[in-house]
Amino acid sequence: MALVAMRLRGSLNGLRRRPWRTVIGTALLAVVAWGMHALTVRALRFLDGYPDIGTIADAVARRSLEGLLAVLMVAVAFSVLTGAIGTLYGSVDLPFLLSQPVPAYRVFALKVAETYAASAMLPAVFTVPVLVALGGERDAPAAYYPIALLALASLYALPVAVGALLALVLMRLAPAGKAKEFATAASVVVAAGLVFGLRALRPEQLQAMTPDEFERLLQGFAALQLGWLPSSWAADAVWQGLAGRFSAGATLLLALALVVLGGLVVLSSRAYAAGWYRAEGDAPWGGGRRRSSERPPAWERVLGPLGGGLVVKDLRLMLRDPSQWSQLLVLAALAGVYFISTASVSVGIQRFRDVIGAINVAFLGFLLAGVGVRLAFPLVSLEGEAVWLLRTAPVRAWRIVFAKFLGALPPMLALGVGLGAAVAGRLELSPALAVAAPLAGGLAAFATAGLGVGLGAAFPRFDSVNPHEVAVSSGGLLYMALSLAYAALSTLLFAYPTWRSLVGGRNAFSWTAPDGLLVLAALVLLCALFTLVPLLLGSHRLSRWEPSD
Amino acid sequence: MIEVRGLVKRYGRFTAVDGLSFEVAAGRVLALLGPNGAGKSTTIRAVTGQVLPTAGTVTVGGHDVTRRPLEAKALIGYVPDRPYLYPNLTGRELLRFLGRLRRVEGAEERARELLERFELTRAADELVQTYSHGMRQRLTFCAALLHRPRALVIDEPMVGLDPRGARDVRLLMRRHADEGGAVLLTTHSLAVAEAVADEIVLMSRGRAVARGTLAELRRRVGDDAADLEEIFLRLTEEAA
Repeated sequence: MALVAMRLRGSLNGLRRRPWRTVIGTALLAVVAWGMHALTVRALRFLDGYPDIGTIADAVARRSLEGLLAVLMVAVAFSVLTGAIGTLYGSVDLPFLLSQPVPAYRVFALKVAETYAASAMLPAVFTVPVLVALGGERDAPAAYYPIALLALASLYALPVAVGALLALVLMRLAPAGKAKEFATAASVVVAAGLVFGLRALRPEQLQAMTPDEFERLLQGFAALQLGWLPSSWAADAVWQGLAGRFSAGATLLLALALVVLGGLVVLSSRAYAAGWYRAEGDAPWGGGRRRSSERPPAWERVLGPLGGGLVVKDLRLMLRDPSQWSQLLVLAALAGVYFISTASVSVGIQRFRDVIGAINVAFLGFLLAGVGVRLAFPLVSLEGEAVWLLRTAPVRAWRIVFAKFLGALPPMLALGVGLGAAVAGRLELSPALAVAAPLAGGLAAFATAGLGVGLGAAFPRFDSVNPHEVAVSSGGLLYMALSLAYAALSTLLFAYPTWRSLVGGRNAFSWTAPDGLLVLAALVLLCALFTLVPLLLGSHRLSRWEPSD
Repeated sequence: MIEVRGLVKRYGRFTAVDGLSFEVAAGRVLALLGPNGAGKSTTIRAVTGQVLPTAGTVTVGGHDVTRRPLEAKALIGYVPDRPYLYPNLTGRELLRFLGRLRRVEGAEERARELLERFELTRAADELVQTYSHGMRQRLTFCAALLHRPRALVIDEPMVGLDPRGARDVRLLMRRHADEGGAVLLTTHSLAVAEAVADEIVLMSRGRAVARGTLAELRRRVGDDAADLEEIFLRLTEEAA
């Protein structure tokens, strides 16, 4: 208990140190929880009120809950992998705790609990409101709530244990010193694969169904039995809980959770030493391979002077860090999913194709905003604890920030312009919209790269160990809000050429006519505003940034 | 070369440095000596332009570090107490990068010379993450000396160095001063201060409690035979 109390005290102190961050974070979580609750209530009322399926509405709701629990269980399993390595092997307090006269299993019990809390907290924010809404809509007795929560806690314990076990194995098998990076890369690659997999289900087919076909689909879904999945046991426990009963499924789930968590504690205590050395570092020098030579390669001699050497340095660091290069795979997966989704829409009428082209212009901005949060926003923070090298060099903060912008721009520009042009070509858009699509992508690339790098410099997190963490901050939220605002404003400006093309026909709008040039100027001005202002703000804030210890 | 006048640095209500003044002339080594929390590292960070003074001025080579930071920083070579470097670069790549960043003429040749001098040539093309703590510290010295700085600013120079490395660093600091450079260092180690410093500033709670050569400090406590440890304890107790 003393260890847990100490850990809780540390967390509370951390929250007190950054009250605004705590308030914003809590508010966001509350909004998400409220949204999930409202969504569940509406979904249950829709099912209950849907004609002719009243008898199977309950089964459909139950299968939906099973599906949600299964998806979130998988999400926990993927997020726990890197978290487990970081907590079980990388915690800075671990050497201190293990040097105290405390049995190792107690220390690792704390670490397993930390891993569990960190991995299951976000999925719980999504699930608890669903269970509360279900209880409310079904007039569940008071006993339902603790039973449902216990079933949920037991369910998420299983992927935590599996993920942590995988982490233990990975620590033994991954190249020395690379286990954390490989775990991150593996998680990202699998997540990208999942996105592709979900897209391959082609959910747009549902739109083409008749009510009869949809009802048959629901009946098949209700009859689906996947009793061997723990998510089914949990759903069973929840449903029995609605009647106030603690079911056999709930008992089994709870027992299994206790066994696997206990086993994990024992195993972690025993496997610690062997994995520790591999986690700590690479083979000492002399054993590793040579990674550079006295004469720099040709590409480096060409790019070397760019951004005072920062572009080449960042490129090298990215290619050598799987947690960074794996972001490019996510980017490729996103681009692929986006292109397939847009291109799969088959519309014969030009006007409708142009409408989809106009929607594409808006979505490109949203897509690049999502990419920028991973690619551009963390760039300054990735300097990490070596930032003193830049801070003590005779270099203006502007030069650093601009070099980072130069590094982020090419992939984002390629993505924006490439996707815009590809979608425009595939949909055979009118001339005005065929130009608008790559133009929107290109301008959005500039704006989101500028916003990302600039706000990343204004709100740096040099203590973060990987790019995922960096964006989870008030600066990251501000970036998302502003990049979405840019996407919305540019969509408003692109609405004029779209409207002219839709109303007046294919050639009614020309970008070289006076009104076209005016729209173009407004777009460039908007883009320049969203690019340069954040870069200047970031430079100013970075020049005044001070180390806190 | 380095001039600190009435330096004050506050973090909220906490005053880390409170009205500190000293100067380090070319050809001299000055040691800031004091217990943990005395404000030594904050002073060093103000000199290297990493923190902005709340009050007072810091100039290097006549350039105000706050108003003309680029000119001041160009004259400084800095070695921090913890040698955080990019783990996924090799030693040679790090020096090449810093050469470009600082626009150093003949950086490749200079890097080769420094890697040789600090006995890092064999490890130069392997990743920094494979280096021992002492090797990283030596690479940090290479980085600090790459642009031939006129002022060397070193925070806790002996941390992580073996006895031979520590001796080499002592000689390096002395040689840098003898060649006309200025050296400002912080240390807990009385032996280091005694061995290399021409002048010592004793710090406690953000203030200078005494300043002078070892002989002058001895006179101040009225004991010509007192070693630096006795002087330090007596003067910091007085100040407390």
